[in-house]
Amino acid sequence: MSIIYVLIPIAILFVCIGLAIFFWAVRSRQFDDLNKEGMSILFDDEKKTIKSETDTDKQPPQ
Amino acid sequence: MSYTGCFHCNEAIPAGSNFSLVIEQQQRLFCCPGCLAVAETIIDQGLGDYYKFRTAPASKAQLVPDQLQLVSYDSTEVLSDLTQHKDNLTQIELSISGISCAACAWLIEKQLQKNPAIHNVSVNSSTARCVISWDIQRLKLSELLNIINKLGYQASPFMADQEEAVQQAELRRFLKRLAVSGFMSMQVMMLAFGLYFGDYTGIDPEFEGYLRWISLFLTTPVVFYSAKPFTLSAWRAVKGRELNMDVPVTLAVFYTFLASAYATVFDTGEVYFESVCMFVFLLQLGKFFEFRARAQARAATGNLLKIMPVSARLVQGDELVPTSARRLEAGQVILVQAGETIAADGVVLSGESSVDESMLTGEYKAVNKAAGDAVMAGSINHDGVMKITVHQPLAHSRLGQIIELQQQTLNQKPQIVEKTTQLARFFIQRLLIIALGTFLVWYFWLDKDRAFWVTLSVLVATCPCALTLATPTAITCALARLNRKGILIKNQQVLEILPQLDSVFLDKTGSLTQGRFSIQRTQLHDQAYTPDTLLALIARIEAYSEHPIAHAFESYLDSKIKVEQVQVHVGSGLSAVWVREHGESLEVKVGSAAFCGAQAETAAAVCCSINQHLVFSVELSDAVRPEVPALIQTLKQRGLHLSMLTGDSSAQVENVQQQLQFDRVFKGCSPEQKVEHIRQAVAQGDKVLMLGDGINDSPCFHAAHVSVALDSGTDLSKNQADVVLLHNNLNSLQELIEGAVLAQRIVKQNLWWAVGYNLVIIPLAVMGFVSPYIAVIGMSFSSILVVSNSLRLLKA
Repeated sequence: MSIIYVLIPIAILFVCIGLAIFFWAVRSRQFDDLNKEGMSILFDDEKKTIKSETDTDKQPPQ
Repeated sequence: MSYTGCFHCNEAIPAGSNFSLVIEQQQRLFCCPGCLAVAETIIDQGLGDYYKFRTAPASKAQLVPDQLQLVSYDSTEVLSDLTQHKDNLTQIELSISGISCAACAWLIEKQLQKNPAIHNVSVNSSTARCVISWDIQRLKLSELLNIINKLGYQASPFMADQEEAVQQAELRRFLKRLAVSGFMSMQVMMLAFGLYFGDYTGIDPEFEGYLRWISLFLTTPVVFYSAKPFTLSAWRAVKGRELNMDVPVTLAVFYTFLASAYATVFDTGEVYFESVCMFVFLLQLGKFFEFRARAQARAATGNLLKIMPVSARLVQGDELVPTSARRLEAGQVILVQAGETIAADGVVLSGESSVDESMLTGEYKAVNKAAGDAVMAGSINHDGVMKITVHQPLAHSRLGQIIELQQQTLNQKPQIVEKTTQLARFFIQRLLIIALGTFLVWYFWLDKDRAFWVTLSVLVATCPCALTLATPTAITCALARLNRKGILIKNQQVLEILPQLDSVFLDKTGSLTQGRFSIQRTQLHDQAYTPDTLLALIARIEAYSEHPIAHAFESYLDSKIKVEQVQVHVGSGLSAVWVREHGESLEVKVGSAAFCGAQAETAAAVCCSINQHLVFSVELSDAVRPEVPALIQTLKQRGLHLSMLTGDSSAQVENVQQQLQFDRVFKGCSPEQKVEHIRQAVAQGDKVLMLGDGINDSPCFHAAHVSVALDSGTDLSKNQADVVLLHNNLNSLQELIEGAVLAQRIVKQNLWWAVGYNLVIIPLAVMGFVSPYIAVIGMSFSSILVVSNSLRLLKA
């Protein structure tokens, strides 16, 4: 059981790292607008170049 | 096609219009050229994804904004007020109206990022704000605003007030504290489980000590960092010889923490680190949601305070020089065109027009102005062009005086002591005395060794967790519930006052009435035509007019009717040539009775003649909103005292009174008199609600206990009011009162539970029957009960 003398400090270290990352995220304003960040994954960054090909085989929405 | 509304804004497409665009091989229909132009821009820029992923339809696009207004943003004085410089880049904050979902934020960011002059864009979709830094040498501010306008949004420079910036920072600190207490709670809870099992199955004292030390180490930041707001607030209260909810909270946190620390260091007694962490975490969570709800409401109304540099055209010889309204001086001459806001108090030098002064006086009819008449700053010029000699600079104008009056009343808001604060004060005093008494009794008479631990279990068992959560959770849920119904509450005291309301003051023009003309009665003089055709014809011709009367006909507009040679005759009406389907053309006049050659035998506001022959007359009035009569009935049934408070002194006041039967009517009131009437009611001990929409109502807002503004009202009134009704429907007032009553009921239930539970557990704890574990379970259970009771408010 003396392994916990090593494991618990390691766990605490991870918690500290996690907290540090969270603080950084808050400071860089990633939590200011939760809606937008959630949506951002849906949008392609560059799609104009491939647009003409994809249009033919994809049904428009609705 | 799955729906028939406009592809862009989803509003109904008017009959006879044909605006369409082929998007991804599908024909899409639009309601107006504005929406079509916006959609074209979006598709051309390859941003069609917006239409796929948006979760709400866009707002209806407005055609080109006032160019003059935009260009006035480019003057260096204005720019230096609005922007900040950071190594060659200019930074500005904009508030953007029309953002309905996250996809809008994406659309604006993408479009702006394409411009090489723009370095950084960040749009916040929940507050509808945008921060841009760009190179002003390569792109003017007016051009930048134009790019956003082309996407169908209205952007205007915005400056967050000091308070809001502080709130944003506070919100971020909240998140950090929440994270610390959350993370640590998980860790400490894990270790606590080890200790719990150790109690039953036996644990090596060496390991037990180790786990306790680690828990102590992990709990320290929670107590000293996460719980700091409570500690500070309690400290301030104690210093001011007051007691608030944070005093017992802080006491419980520190007492439990220090006791556990003592137990850890000297290896005796019990530890309650996990209780400390969970307690702080839960309280933080409740406070955080409450704070965020309020911050969002404030940000939403803050957006209303746009910075509009009111510009004026100064006449210098034969030249017109654009200048800022604030720089006008007495004696200067300005030119005011149709549709513009008059920039200063003065006297008409030449020209004639009708002027809308309803925002300042409450009078709903436009007032005719000719040479020699006085005009007021802030009123809107309808149809003619006038030259005006300035009498007073803007700061001394009637508008400036009203704003000043409102600033004066700001600090005189009637205060009420919150009931829960009173209760808390009463309860906490008793609690502290009982805890102290328990300690002394156990220490001197019963069992010296157990005194400390029994006192601890008294404090933990009676821990004011449920009591402190009772009000904020209920208030937060009620705020969220009302928000969803389009009622924005900025001052949460409102919810406490509303159930005790005695008296309601309502403004007439724009609040009870629609604040614009609508058709009351029509009369047909020639059977050769039908009323429908003639209304459509009038609507078609009136579309060329800026006059407010023209809006009354908007809903009858049919673009199939062909008219030519439309001419505006200032102060009298419009003339045009009507080309019918079979090629016949008729000379049509729309306007006052005299203009159409009729005797003014009726009160008709608009007549229509064809070939000099009177065919049709329309009576207009400012109609009462359709939902008002029913609302007045329900308010009366609640036993509220209703008064109408209006600046209007015309006969229309009696009409409205006859229809709605108020208890009291005050007409022809100046803003000062309105404030006086409300003060009298407050002095009588009534709890007063004021509903209004104009600039002239805003001083009253601070005199009343609760102030409510409508979304259609002026920016100033919306900014000052405690509550804004976003749906522009007066039924919301009824919902607001009901919501407040419901919230009050939930708060009461919560408090009864919390107090009742404490009354049962205190005697047991004092006698030493409650082991701290049971105390913790009881405390958590009653907290959960209180929170879930509050959550009921979110339903329905």
